[in-house]
Amino acid sequence: MNTLHLLSHSPFTDSRLSSCLRLLSIHDGILLSGDAVYALQAGTAQRQALELMPDGIALFALEEDLLARAIGDVPARVRCLDYPAFVELTLRYAKVNSWL
Amino acid sequence: MAKSLLLISRQAPWSGPGAREALDIALAGGAFDLPLAMLFLDDGVLQLTQAQQPAQLQQKDLTANLQALPMFGVEALYACNRSLFERGVDSGALNLPVELLDEHGLSALLQRYDLVITL
Amino acid sequence: MKFAIALFAPPHAPSARRALRFAQAVLAGGHEITRLFFYQDGVHSGSHNVVTPQDELDLSAEWREFVREQQLDGVICIAAALRRGVLSSEEAERHSRPAANLAPDWELSGLGQLHEAMQLADRTICFGGH
Repeated sequence: MNTLHLLSHSPFTDSRLSSCLRLLSIHDGILLSGDAVYALQAGTAQRQALELMPDGIALFALEEDLLARAIGDVPARVRCLDYPAFVELTLRYAKVNSWL
Repeated sequence: MAKSLLLISRQAPWSGPGAREALDIALAGGAFDLPLAMLFLDDGVLQLTQAQQPAQLQQKDLTANLQALPMFGVEALYACNRSLFERGVDSGALNLPVELLDEHGLSALLQRYDLVITL
Repeated sequence: MKFAIALFAPPHAPSARRALRFAQAVLAGGHEITRLFFYQDGVHSGSHNVVTPQDELDLSAEWREFVREQQLDGVICIAAALRRGVLSSEEAERHSRPAANLAPDWELSGLGQLHEAMQLADRTICFGGH
């Protein structure tokens, strides 16, 4: 049963992203929201780690959070979402795991 | 058939109500006979050390409440091996009977449950 | 499809706003919300007493309107609320506290309501942290 992981903390001071990466299964997805979108910041180890994930792991970001933070250059594999797309995405995974 | 729930507890025991409030979700679910498991991950493994003295901080005994989990039908208890190791916690001296999991075990665990809450 | 939505963060947290926007999109997408359940610091989003400047987002007011207009089942965990000083008039009286601050659109209840919602819904989404 695949899981969509929802992250919302900055990856620089927080261990949620690294813990999430260790728990992932091959067809899971990751949705970055809030400060977690900083993981896509160019030139960071976090972005590199996300880019190196196997292709089977889908990567999403909440568009409003990217725009708010002026993060324009995101890896090609990232799908940017608005809220309607966010809702529909949750239905494509068996469950959603929010890293509260 | 009831949906199964995995609760992932990541908070240290005395960092606020987080550890206690995660446990309360488990105990409430157990009281309703729901299929539940609890995983201690990251700082959550610090809840499992022995000889804690909550009275020093005027707090209630979390260990005693964790040990009540099997009485509420929650017997599937797990801890992340790496989290224990990183924090210098001796996996042989824990206050709760937990199964230790490596990364492969953690992903397999997560896959098995219908619902997950990570606190 | 039916959604259970749980909120663990207070109204000034960005995740509380995301939860509301998500909930609105759920209904706009033709889906249902089985229940909203506020836990931990999420109970503050039920307070009637949050005051925000006129030119700022009043999220607890928006949540109230949403629950009222859409006639949703909005539940706040009683234990978490009491601990954080979010009280209905009954609880304020029961515990001899000077003021009630829980908006009437919310119901105070236990974690059993969260478990029930998760069992009934097709998807459970939690919002919290930052």
